[in-house]
Amino acid sequence: MTRGERTAWLFTAPVLAIILLVFVLPTLVALGLSVTDYSIYALADWSNLGFVGLGNFADLLATPLFWRALGNTALFAALGVPMAIGASLAAALLLHDATVRWKPAWRVLLFAPYVTSVVATAVVWRFVLNTRFGLLNYVLGGLGIAPVDWLGDPRASIPAILLFVTWKIFGYNMIVFTAALSAVPQDLMEAARLDGAGRWARFRHVTLPAIGPTLLLAAVMSVAGFLQLFAEPYVMTMGGPAQSTVTVLYFMFDEGFRWWNLGQASAVAFVLFVLILAVTIVQTRIGRRYEWL
Amino acid sequence: MLICNKKQGAEIDRWSGFSAVDRRGVLAGAAATMMAGCGVRRDPSALRLWAMSYEGDYSPHLMPAFTARTGIPVEVQSLPWTAAHEKLLTAFAGDALPDVMMLPNGWVGEFAMAGAIAPVAEREVADLFPGTADTVRWRGTPYAVPWSVAPQAQFFRRDRLDGPPAEDWDGWRAMGLRLKRRFPDSYAFLILLNWWDTLFTFAGQAGAALLRERDTRGNFATPEFRAALDFYVSLFRDRLAPAVLSTEVQDPVAAFAQGWFLVYPSGPSLLLDFKRRAAEIPAARWGVARMPGPTGPGAVSGVSGALAVARGTRRPEAARALVRHLTSARSELRFQQLIGNLPARASAWADAQMAAPVLAPFAAQLRQPARDPAVVEWERIRIEVQLIAERVVRGLLTVGVAVQEMDRRADLILAKRRALVQAGRLA
Repeated sequence: MTRGERTAWLFTAPVLAIILLVFVLPTLVALGLSVTDYSIYALADWSNLGFVGLGNFADLLATPLFWRALGNTALFAALGVPMAIGASLAAALLLHDATVRWKPAWRVLLFAPYVTSVVATAVVWRFVLNTRFGLLNYVLGGLGIAPVDWLGDPRASIPAILLFVTWKIFGYNMIVFTAALSAVPQDLMEAARLDGAGRWARFRHVTLPAIGPTLLLAAVMSVAGFLQLFAEPYVMTMGGPAQSTVTVLYFMFDEGFRWWNLGQASAVAFVLFVLILAVTIVQTRIGRRYEWL
Repeated sequence: MLICNKKQGAEIDRWSGFSAVDRRGVLAGAAATMMAGCGVRRDPSALRLWAMSYEGDYSPHLMPAFTARTGIPVEVQSLPWTAAHEKLLTAFAGDALPDVMMLPNGWVGEFAMAGAIAPVAEREVADLFPGTADTVRWRGTPYAVPWSVAPQAQFFRRDRLDGPPAEDWDGWRAMGLRLKRRFPDSYAFLILLNWWDTLFTFAGQAGAALLRERDTRGNFATPEFRAALDFYVSLFRDRLAPAVLSTEVQDPVAAFAQGWFLVYPSGPSLLLDFKRRAAEIPAARWGVARMPGPTGPGAVSGVSGALAVARGTRRPEAARALVRHLTSARSELRFQQLIGNLPARASAWADAQMAAPVLAPFAAQLRQPARDPAVVEWERIRIEVQLIAERVVRGLLTVGVAVQEMDRRADLILAKRRALVQAGRLA
């Protein structure tokens, strides 16, 4: 080992130790738990703990609620990622325009929801979405649309929560996109304009390739975020109505912390881990193809 | 207390996953962990008490008398009902239980089995309503002292109903239809779809035995439970009650005062809400009656609160003294004045304060308690059953399929218990 290498190890050692302690070790322990029937009976008396092999996974696959949670999560991600990224990009593009004044003020206002507490804003949004007195239904009523039972109708509950989540998180990616947009080469933009490219053509062939890597990063983060959706359904609907907003993480929380079936919950955690890993691998493959990575 | 709540907010934030991956989120999480909330500011000489809802909010009023007599300060933390079970279990697993905690009677067996709470002396559970003492026993030994009793009763709008509400199912439905005709913009009843208490009140009234085979299997396909579920579902089907969750009705008291619904099955803690908001809903406008049964009022189980001492407490004597103080007839009577909760001590009921007409339906109901199965899994089974009932109300299942599904879910939840009972490791 050269002196340089030793120094490098010395500097990275604290971080590696922390990663080992708070990431690798818990992951391995959780994996170990997922093949046991750890439950409240084991909490009472260790002799009640048994090895069940892949039994937890088999049980999980036979649990309708797990499949429903998986479906709900997929729906949240499939609708939410384009919605959130689209909103971020649209806001960033609008703010990037030279004619917009007071840009810092707009940025602060649009970023503010991201840094407010989920619980506090959820309470406000529950009032906004109220069927009888809510602001949203009031506005829709003005447009001649009958009141929607946002948080009480199993078909409207996911869109309602997505609305809230998008409002809450789009500011973060908006800032990231704003930074990426300012790096789009202006000479290229002017050349395209001189060649007669319209707004859309310039966006498609100049802006988009330039912010591609940022877009990919945002997509990876958002997918991982949406697959781990928990706090919003927890505070808005508690998984209801008719369990239509139970997500995988919510299901895991319920099993693990509410009922203390940690064996089962660890199995859910492992499935979620594999899922997120798989989706991320697919995303990076796509990114490589477009030479964004 | 405020700081603790804020910390809970940060904790949930950390769960959201949006912040978990980026640096900002990790920093926020680290900050939340470092603050470690209320633990740091704690007075080391104080006893700690956790209680739910109004009991938690108002029990500090009972503490000056205790502290003055014993010199022991008490710190109270109030928990919301919706997060109490996980918080208590997690605290037990993390060896962070308070010295004294409130438990609804249905959870006492669970926490006793897990070894979280210490048994209490037999003399502590004397002088109670018969039936109440049984609910805090596990394997014959009392593990908590009943603090309050809270059977459901129906609160009704005296100014909108012709007289006292019906107390049998057919009469109740007929009354609902009559009210619906007279007040087409209102509902007759409010029954929140994510709370199990009204369905289980009906089941208790119908005399349904909910588990079988030494409490190792679900028993929901019986004619009694089916009748209760049929009646429950019919109230929503006939549009006598709105299909709403507690998350949708932010303020049921205001909705009741405005006449959005006219009859509200609820516990005695509503008495405090009505007292505090008498400007909105004057006392002359509402009354209380017993919940309807198939042919008249019957046995009802309620969320009753009990106080237990943690097995791991370092000061068991002081903790027991606190339980004795809080469950004394005097404290319970004061609590009744403060938050409406009904005393569990039989002798407290001899006091003139308990002769108020508004308490009479509760007193009558107390003499007819229904007993919940004393198994660890009961809380979960009850919630699962309510979730399936909600699906029936929303037209996603039929009653016939639903009761089969309830049995199936209960059997699954009870699988571990069944195995332990069959192996002879559990009585």
